[in-house]
Amino acid sequence: MARMKFLCDADRCIECNACVTACKNENDVPWGINRRRVVTINDGKPGERSISMACMHCTDAPCAAVCPVDCFYTTADAVVLHSKDLCIGCGYCFYACPFGAPQYPKVGNFGSRGKMDKCTFCAGGPEVDLSPAEFQKYGSNRLAEGKLPLCAEMCSTKSLLAGDGEIIAQIYKERVVKRGYGSGAWGWQTAYKETIAI
Amino acid sequence: MLIKRKTADVQRGRLQAAMAGLSSGVMDRRAFLRRSGLVAGGIAAAGAIQIGSVRKAEAQGIGPATGTKIVKNICTHCSVGCTVKAEVANGVWVGQEPAWESPINRGSHCAKGASVREVVHGDRRIKYPMKLVDGQWQRISWDVAINEIGDKMNEIRAKSGADSVYLLGSAKFSNEGAYLFRKFAAFWGTNNVDHQARICHSTTVAGVANTWGYGAMTNSYNDIRNAKTIMFMGSNAAEAHPVSMQHILAGKEINRANVIVFDPRLTRTAAHATDYIRIRSGTDIAVIWGMMWHIFKNGWEDQAFLAARVHGMDDVRKEVEKYDPKTVEDITGVPEAQLKRAAETFAKVKPATFIWCMGVTQHSVGTANVRAICNLLLATGNVGGMGNGANIFRGHCNVQGATDFGLDISNLPCYYGLVEGAWRHWARVWDVPYDYFVTRFDQVPAKGGRPARTAKANMETSGHTSTRWFDAANLPAEQVDQKDNLKAMFVMGHGGNTIPRMPDAVKGLEKLELLVVADPHPTNFVSLGGRKNGTYLLPIGTQFECSGSRTCSNRSVQWGEKIVEPIFEAASDYFVIYKLAQKLGFAEPMHKNFELIQGKYGPEPSAESILREINKGGWSTGYTGQSPERLKLHMQHQDKFDLVSLRGAVGSPVENDFYGLPWPCWGTPELKHPGTHILYNTSLAANNGGGTFRPRFGLTRERTLADGSKVNDTLLAENGSYSLNSEIKDGYPEFTMGVLKKLGWDAELTLKEVETITWVGGANIDAVNWANDISGGIQRVALAHGCVPYGNGKARANAWNLPDPVPTHREPIYSPRVDLVAKWPARPDERTLRIPNLHTSVQKAAVEKGIAKSFPIVLTSGRLVEYEGGGEETRSNRWLAELQQDMFVEINPADATARGIRDGSFVWVSGPENNSKARVKALVTERVGRGVAFMPFHFGGFYQGQDQRGNYPKGTDPIVLGESVNIVTTYGYDPVTAMHEGKVTLCQIAAA
Amino acid sequence: MRLGAHIGLLVTGLLLTFAVAFAVPASAQQVNPTADAVREQQFLDVLKGNREAELQGRVSIPDQRAATLERPAGRDWRQFHQGTMLWIAAVSVLGMLLILTAFYLIRGRIRTEAGPAGSTLTRFNAFERFMHWLTAACFIILALSGLNVTFGKLVLLPLIGPQAFTNLSVVAKWSHNFLAWPFMLGVVMMFVVWIKDNIPNALDVRWLAAGGGIFTKGHPPARRFNAGQKVVFWSVVLGGAALSVSGFYLLFPFYAGGVLNLQFWNVVHGIVSVLMVALMLGHIYIGSIGMEGAFDAMGSGEVDLNWAKAHHSLWVEEEIEKGQVNPGPRLQPAE
Repeated sequence: MARMKFLCDADRCIECNACVTACKNENDVPWGINRRRVVTINDGKPGERSISMACMHCTDAPCAAVCPVDCFYTTADAVVLHSKDLCIGCGYCFYACPFGAPQYPKVGNFGSRGKMDKCTFCAGGPEVDLSPAEFQKYGSNRLAEGKLPLCAEMCSTKSLLAGDGEIIAQIYKERVVKRGYGSGAWGWQTAYKETIAI
Repeated sequence: MLIKRKTADVQRGRLQAAMAGLSSGVMDRRAFLRRSGLVAGGIAAAGAIQIGSVRKAEAQGIGPATGTKIVKNICTHCSVGCTVKAEVANGVWVGQEPAWESPINRGSHCAKGASVREVVHGDRRIKYPMKLVDGQWQRISWDVAINEIGDKMNEIRAKSGADSVYLLGSAKFSNEGAYLFRKFAAFWGTNNVDHQARICHSTTVAGVANTWGYGAMTNSYNDIRNAKTIMFMGSNAAEAHPVSMQHILAGKEINRANVIVFDPRLTRTAAHATDYIRIRSGTDIAVIWGMMWHIFKNGWEDQAFLAARVHGMDDVRKEVEKYDPKTVEDITGVPEAQLKRAAETFAKVKPATFIWCMGVTQHSVGTANVRAICNLLLATGNVGGMGNGANIFRGHCNVQGATDFGLDISNLPCYYGLVEGAWRHWARVWDVPYDYFVTRFDQVPAKGGRPARTAKANMETSGHTSTRWFDAANLPAEQVDQKDNLKAMFVMGHGGNTIPRMPDAVKGLEKLELLVVADPHPTNFVSLGGRKNGTYLLPIGTQFECSGSRTCSNRSVQWGEKIVEPIFEAASDYFVIYKLAQKLGFAEPMHKNFELIQGKYGPEPSAESILREINKGGWSTGYTGQSPERLKLHMQHQDKFDLVSLRGAVGSPVENDFYGLPWPCWGTPELKHPGTHILYNTSLAANNGGGTFRPRFGLTRERTLADGSKVNDTLLAENGSYSLNSEIKDGYPEFTMGVLKKLGWDAELTLKEVETITWVGGANIDAVNWANDISGGIQRVALAHGCVPYGNGKARANAWNLPDPVPTHREPIYSPRVDLVAKWPARPDERTLRIPNLHTSVQKAAVEKGIAKSFPIVLTSGRLVEYEGGGEETRSNRWLAELQQDMFVEINPADATARGIRDGSFVWVSGPENNSKARVKALVTERVGRGVAFMPFHFGGFYQGQDQRGNYPKGTDPIVLGESVNIVTTYGYDPVTAMHEGKVTLCQIAAA
Repeated sequence: MRLGAHIGLLVTGLLLTFAVAFAVPASAQQVNPTADAVREQQFLDVLKGNREAELQGRVSIPDQRAATLERPAGRDWRQFHQGTMLWIAAVSVLGMLLILTAFYLIRGRIRTEAGPAGSTLTRFNAFERFMHWLTAACFIILALSGLNVTFGKLVLLPLIGPQAFTNLSVVAKWSHNFLAWPFMLGVVMMFVVWIKDNIPNALDVRWLAAGGGIFTKGHPPARRFNAGQKVVFWSVVLGGAALSVSGFYLLFPFYAGGVLNLQFWNVVHGIVSVLMVALMLGHIYIGSIGMEGAFDAMGSGEVDLNWAKAHHSLWVEEEIEKGQVNPGPRLQPAE
């Protein structure tokens, strides 16, 4: 089975936010929930880089480790998913997540955060694949349809890659060799304890 | 590239699955919209929307028996032309998939394109026709609306003349819509018809067309993959044309191309440059001439190219001598070494392409800016080949097409100028007597010392520009060169906040007797000012709710299929124009060639039949080969086109065609011309997409030598420069019947063609040319001999018919460098297109008043990736609105600190005219240099600190409102096209 | 509060140094944004010297927390939460239970040597008892629901299954959130009412030196509260304050100023609460089965004179002077 990963090639990312709205379009994510976002480092300085970030579906995911109710699970594709039926909205996954991925419908209201929501790698949730219940709780399940996350599929410059970790690493590697520069596989070290050697 | 998991047991699509479990009855689209309108509503409510609620409503609305179909249309935002692939079930747009097969976007979108589905689910759209009665919006029916509007138009026409009704069209129209609207203006009897090209690339069109023939991007987005040097000036493609960056960055990576970006801001595009050069706003000519100085000094110019294909470069050489490195650094702020390196790279690392946008065009010297760049391209021989050229990124989804079809004050469709011959040409195509049109135009009385104009003369006089519509309403009648002031605006798909001097626009709005806003969303025209009556709001479907073709920036024409019927009570552009023509009494002659089909509310012309009429008349621009059938075939076989060359694959149904048949696509559709991917490309045969520079400025030009004697320089190509396989191995003029006869090629015309030519030519059959021969015979024969129908001429480095034939640096009207104004002053006061253009007076007054001291910050403006144009549509899209919730001003940390301004705090930006001010948030960033501020231009709905949300009809207010930058922008108009000076003015910023 | 502010400053300081490390000098000759591009390795290098470094950028959405691109510090918190915290909790809670059991087995129930006197003294009035029990009841539920967060998935989840465990945890979470408020109120009231009797003095030194008389016969003299009780009082006040402050931030994350601070408050909350639980187990023991007559003080509020004399001899003297002794029913003169 493939080990699914995201890779944002920051030397291609132009902060166009297509990934953000594609995600919202595909999963009907409400206002205020940002499953994916684009952050610009060193904004306005020569050398600024924008990076699209969402749940990285970590190896040995911290969110899963700290969850007091064990609502996380990892799919055969190594996608880290969770059950909104089991989530109690405690916020611990947010403390632990290195990427700020977990989102809550009502942050700050006296502990009533609501059920955590995050990027599912367009792989739905524990419900029956492609069922309306799954869609309502988690959004679409493109993986089950043989498609990849829409954020990556619609990326304007093919900066955001999604798919089998080895293959996207290979694509990135080839790009860096071809063009002679690369600012790194952002988040890989933290998420997967590995990086892409060029 | 992307790897997919194949799950054997999962074959069904998401929606079928969603449907399977549902037994609830079929809900029609309208019911769905009502329901989704209930769940979605405003920022406050948006927070409460539960995940999936909208899709849930959809799922309930889908009966088990219906399937989904895929419909392809084109994104309605920028000009890149991304294919949008919609999944439609039961008349509801339920999903969007990447259109991998499109060679232009290859599945990609930007934030706008990835959220277009929301546009058609818009609960903030105008839901039904409305009119303003004593300050209250009242719902009315379509019939009442059309009747009342038509009556009022006729009343104004009787009292003040046809020119008093301004017809403001849209770059959002399909080609067919744009053409129909232009035709409507002709039947109404005015040249006061304009659209967004005025404020984005009118100066480009004027400058480029006056250099080498056609006012369009010479190459394509895809072709930039071939470039080895990519130079940007005043273009922030990363935000304005994000998907183009896919090709640009690919070129940068594959060829290790140099990417040189000139901009006052370190934009998201500049962040990907290999060489970023910060310039002072409004000094583009000095920058270009500064580069040319190095090029000429070091002999880096392309001598062979200049000798064969360019006229008048010596005149430029003379001007450029003034721009030595020291002078240029003083004007522009660019150090010599930087400019020299850029010049050398551009001249030597070829092919090199130059990309520009509104940073170049929106200036009081816009046309001259463009001409300077064209000269740089000519001098270095970087036009007419793969990977080079003037890659002008246009702004709206069909601004190229709308320009092509003459939504313009000085053209008839396809750049036929406002001359008798052109009117007669279109009268023939339309099958309406020429004299009919003469009767429709106003006679203009003598006033202000100007002679009177007959109706025919008025018909041949360029109209009034949209940048200054309010001046035509506000100025004393004698200064306005038409029968009477402006009394009515009929605005179809145009924002009200995209041109400077909004305080003056407010006054103008109050003067109008009639204001019609026909749009999917209420634009700023509606919210601005204090109108109480005489305002109509008509709901129009977006282009996703309409079929038709659209021309992207690279001239490729793409056919978009209606995805869903116009929602709510919205109607299509075609319907509204038809209905109004009917009311005004010219629907029959105007629509006689069109097939009327049953639309949502009754008969309306079919897009296909309109395109066929275009094909019948668009000879001058090569809009004749793009039949609806061919375009639809291209959309069907998008995957058969090469990514870089855009050529259709061998053996496919679109073999040899260039994608979208980029114009010129000569001859009739049956001729199967492939379109022209790269303009003026002599390395291809004319019948295979090749071309030459167009000789449209005469055949020779007199030049006085040093000794006083005169010689005639040829304006035709020399030194064996001709397109591949041309039988004429030299320059040649445009093809006419007379030329054919001389060459003895007239015998190749068919009998039928000769018959038509005779009919067109009447007494003077020899004068019938390639552009008005409706039979297409002349084009066919020329192409058969490998010749380009318009001739083989030289590009002009010196455009002697323009105000500044050889561009010269002129300080902006509101210049921060008052010390330079004396040496580089604005042009003397003059009249531009029906009204005065007071360059010098305003500039002088600014200097005398010490404006540069009290308003020390240079203000420039531009785009955000999330929004587009006036922004009402995108600011009403909750997915986009969430990403940019506040109007802001970018200010340098040094300027912010000096003013006690914190990042994110509110500030007042004040402008030097009308005591204007705008309350916006500060974005403290080094993107802008010290003494420079930047504001995006998409906001509206706040006016000088006042929230105008209440002015919108209930439920149609965009989610995000904000001050418009154009409240504080100022006077300044290009002498050729009256383009406004939106990219450089002065302001002051203070903490609020 | 101060500690939080301190940590906050610390974090900001580190971010600043980090930002400086990232600044790229622009050459006057050529600005090449591609060559100068910020690399992730720069951040990873900073991270080696400062595990709490965060990678901050700019986002257009108003939620500025989204501007943090990477924050690997969560790893440390995770390690604490899944490791250290478990150990501290297990050692302190189970350890205390063990000690108490052992103590009970060895020492048995501490009896009032003089036997009941019959006459009683009012040790705690109704209001005092109300506030004690309010605080105590809240504390017990808070403690159990809190421990559920740490131990629940190890102990309860396998027993009752995921859905039931989630239901229980939701109830526990809400109880925790709501009962925190009466608990805080109780702590404040106890502080105000009892502070005057809990000022440490020289007697406490002697009392402590004598080990409170637990291991010997006869108790050192004490006023209303002996040193042991003062320890409980101050632990409840200070520990309660720590729990209140940290809990407040966890409930209202907007005021905490970033996830690193939330992690910090979570650590404070966790450690203080398990220590409190351990202490309270001792308190409960000595106030119930551990000592004869002690429960009456909070039960009926009336304590036997002899019990009082044994444990709070000086307080009894003061009370007798004030004539506060209630003669027992058996001592009433038969007239």
